[in-house]
Amino acid sequence: MDVQIELRNVSLITEDYSAIEDVSVVFPRGRSTVIMGPSGCGKSTLLKVAAGLLVPDRGRVYIGGRALMDLSERQMQEFRRASGFMFQDAALWANKSVYENLALPIEYHEPGQPASATRRRVVEQLRTLGLEDSIDLRPAQLSTGEQKLVSFLRATVLGPSLLFLDEPTTSIDHTSLERMMQRIEELQERGCTIIAVTHDAHLAAMIANHLVVLKSGRVLEAADVAVVRRSTNPQVIEILTQVLSDAAAYDTDILDLLGDGDHPSQ
Amino acid sequence: MVSWHEMIARLGRWFSVAVGNFLYATGFLLNIGRQSLPFVRHRGVARRVLVMQILFTAVEAMGIISLISVGLGAVIVVQGLSILPKFGQGKLIYTILTIVITRELGPLLTAFVIIARSATAIATELGNMVVSHEIEAYRSVGIDPISYLAVPRFLGVTISSVLLTIYFNFFGLFGSYVVTQFIKPIQLQEYFQNLLASMTVIDVVSSLVKGFVFGAIISFSAIYQGLKVRVSTTEIPQVAIRAVSQSFALCILADAIITLVYYL
Repeated sequence: MDVQIELRNVSLITEDYSAIEDVSVVFPRGRSTVIMGPSGCGKSTLLKVAAGLLVPDRGRVYIGGRALMDLSERQMQEFRRASGFMFQDAALWANKSVYENLALPIEYHEPGQPASATRRRVVEQLRTLGLEDSIDLRPAQLSTGEQKLVSFLRATVLGPSLLFLDEPTTSIDHTSLERMMQRIEELQERGCTIIAVTHDAHLAAMIANHLVVLKSGRVLEAADVAVVRRSTNPQVIEILTQVLSDAAAYDTDILDLLGDGDHPSQ
Repeated sequence: MVSWHEMIARLGRWFSVAVGNFLYATGFLLNIGRQSLPFVRHRGVARRVLVMQILFTAVEAMGIISLISVGLGAVIVVQGLSILPKFGQGKLIYTILTIVITRELGPLLTAFVIIARSATAIATELGNMVVSHEIEAYRSVGIDPISYLAVPRFLGVTISSVLLTIYFNFFGLFGSYVVTQFIKPIQLQEYFQNLLASMTVIDVVSSLVKGFVFGAIISFSAIYQGLKVRVSTTEIPQVAIRAVSQSFALCILADAIITLVYYL
């Protein structure tokens, strides 16, 4: 298995409690990993540590076999250039318009591009999710769902090979969701590694090749979806049942929702 | 009753935290300084932030600076011209104008205006950005918040402070001339000749040095405090107050030191 990101014995303590504790997990290259677990179990923290946005108190994070802490400024820039992060709360830059939110990463990483080319690119991106009319609005003028869509576009605007998604589908309407799923599938087909935190059974079923189940900051199970589905660990079954409970009303076997992880990037 | 052991332990903990904070602040300042030097070669996107900062701190403050400087010049002239001639020291008004406006109150009042407008704005804005994860968002797209947010604000406020100090001097000295016309009319040429005769190069340099140092102090305090916010919006007014009080205290201290150096 080609590993893109590896966490070894990682712990992070915030406000005197362990957000994640002694976590060792690998995220395979070119595959989609979904992190699942009950609210407050440390999923978003784990995602941010894997993305290098939070520095762990103990343990190390490896990107392509190299310790994140040992990367030079230039290597770190390359890693950031090649990765995108969609935040749970969108985290758009409030004092910039939708256009500026999407144009800034392009202007920063691809200096010298004519402004017209950048604008064309941003408009194209917005059009894919039906947001072209919102180009000059500020984030505060958008609905929560629209903010998340713009956050998704900002994360993908540079064509990342590694994408972190934190609860990407919440507050998004059905049509936009379908368009977003289409973009995610395109990225998967291009070999993009995706690491997503979600409670959405349908997203998990659609993209997951690999599953990480988390409880109270500790990893209970991290393996291919097919393996996790066969898990006999009662805690894993309980958590997946809880997490997928909304969808369970329509399915007799809840774990069937996850499919068997057979997706384009495999 | 707290035992001696406990008191010494508390003192030790306080000292350890204070030293840690001081070392962190020093490292932070050095980082900003290190990244400020090659700023000219930086990408255009950060330069835009610098221009916006100068626009807000210098250009938008010109009105209030004009009012304060003209008012100060007028007060000095009115007071001076009503008292000094009684002692046969009418010409001392020029020396007083130079000392008060150029060397002392010009830079200091300019700093106070910048603290009231920009220090609060910067600390609040950066604090909000931390809470709403905007700082993390910058890092996630590979933009270093220090080079993109801190350095342009540091340079913008420092440059603005120097420019506003020059502007304050000009308006204060010119304003005092206008007021003089109502009390004891004098030729423009004669007024400025007397003024320049009482002004030395060191007066001007001292004024500019103060403008520079005050600008650096204010911007650093505001940025440092703003980025110290961690998770809650209730921390934001607290850091804004801390940025203001810290800036006031450090500017007064720096002013005393620079003035002392001047007279040594």
